[in-house]
Amino acid sequence: MNDKPLETELLGVTLKNPVIAASGTFGFGREYAELFDVSRLGGICGKGLTLDGSAGNRGVRVTETPAGMLNSIGLENPGVARFVAEEAPFMRSLGCAVIANLGGHSVSDYIEGARLLNDADIDILELNISCPNVRAGSMAFGLSPGSAADVTRRVKEVARHPLMVKLTPNAPDPVEVALACEQAGADALSLVNTFLGMAIDVDKKRPVFDNVYAGLSGPAVMPLALRIVHQAAKRVKIPVVGMGGISCARDALCFLMAGARAVQVGSMNFANPRAMLDIIDGLARYCEENHLENIREIRGIV
Amino acid sequence: MAVIVQNTEIAGGIYRMWLAHAPQGNAGQFIMLRIPGALDPFLGRPISLFDSAGDELTLLYQVKGRGTAAFAGLPAGAPAEVQGPYGNGFPLVPGDAVVIGGGIGAAPLHLLVKQLRAAEPNRRVEVHLGFRGEAYAIEAFRAYADSVRVDIGGVVTDGVDFAQTAAYYACGPSPMLRAAAKAAGETGARLYVSLEKHMACGVGACLGCTCQTANGRKRVCRDGPVFDFREVADER
Repeated sequence: MNDKPLETELLGVTLKNPVIAASGTFGFGREYAELFDVSRLGGICGKGLTLDGSAGNRGVRVTETPAGMLNSIGLENPGVARFVAEEAPFMRSLGCAVIANLGGHSVSDYIEGARLLNDADIDILELNISCPNVRAGSMAFGLSPGSAADVTRRVKEVARHPLMVKLTPNAPDPVEVALACEQAGADALSLVNTFLGMAIDVDKKRPVFDNVYAGLSGPAVMPLALRIVHQAAKRVKIPVVGMGGISCARDALCFLMAGARAVQVGSMNFANPRAMLDIIDGLARYCEENHLENIREIRGIV
Repeated sequence: MAVIVQNTEIAGGIYRMWLAHAPQGNAGQFIMLRIPGALDPFLGRPISLFDSAGDELTLLYQVKGRGTAAFAGLPAGAPAEVQGPYGNGFPLVPGDAVVIGGGIGAAPLHLLVKQLRAAEPNRRVEVHLGFRGEAYAIEAFRAYADSVRVDIGGVVTDGVDFAQTAAYYACGPSPMLRAAAKAAGETGARLYVSLEKHMACGVGACLGCTCQTANGRKRVCRDGPVFDFREVADER
């Protein structure tokens, strides 16, 4: 029997297991490191960065929905330079793979951010072209194959770290965007970011969020996300990291069977800070019960 | 896992939940309360501590939406997931204290009054509680306070003398906090306010509850929920 049934290789990095904390749900690991042993995780994607940092959106930022939540945080972050100096070294000390998530308002923002991140001790650069909550840029780049390929190519030219492009489910055809990013040089893809949604305050007769629309996540979106990951994973040859509403080990198994090499867990961390540990334990149990040498044996079998 | 000992409606839409096997906390802190394993309602709800003694917690909560409505239906004996306590809590400033609560904002002030009394038995603790309609939990305050003034349907801060040598503490709806801040600004009183925001995680990771302060952006859940009112002048 393999003593490391969950060990997973991703872009030259050996993950202890295929369970990664999704960007925007785990800060830079500081808060959750006080609550549990985060070195047990496969990796952590840091909060989405923008070149100069941001105070994020005004007004209500989170609201619950049936089996999920809408968020309109708007990439509140300390900026790339402070991440490189203060947060990346801390993340490295946590003992799991370190992934930096980079957003941007323009192609030049992305290029400059990626250049600065070359100096950071990180394992993977996740290019965020899918955040729905900032007025300029970000998701706009991920909606069409052409603009997604362009920013991917330009960042790939300057980035020293392996490049994983995080895709939006809101593109008319996410699979076309996935193929375009692959052709443009992406080393891996992560999908899906949040679904564009809306909430209205009936008593006040106005949108709940100042930005009107917001990103939907949580268990409610899981089947929608799974469909897109399944379709994309069947078409591209580069590794796919699947996410969207994962709340338990069986959900994670669904994404792996659909073709994902690893998974990211997001909103569920808010509901239950120990959810990822339960998922890791559940995956290990599954391998044992099904006599798997390694979890990769089920990858893409559906 | 915490267990519900009692969960009863004490006034219209106001519930008191008594939990055993719960963590201990300080006044002004909160827990994230969740129905174990539930995906809908999905997130925990931040609920302040009405009382904390050993491994028993008492909460006072108002049914506002789907989450709190689900709590109201939980029977005695049911398990409850308690995360925390989180947040900074009220500072226990030496000397006399004036405590001002509006509606369900009274909840964390009860544990505050109890802890103020325990820390300094001879201090004067004056309590002012405002309610829109029915008053509740008054007797619990009387057990520890020197005076409890109850205002129904008025402006509770109108009856507070902000010119005393005392620390002031306030928790309640925004208009009440604004009025307290205005009065304290005029007299130079020391005032601590407990803020409320929508939260997803309660630990400082999601940034759903950050607010603008004189010292940059802060997270209500982790850097607060208690702030010196001067620091959060833009938020109320």
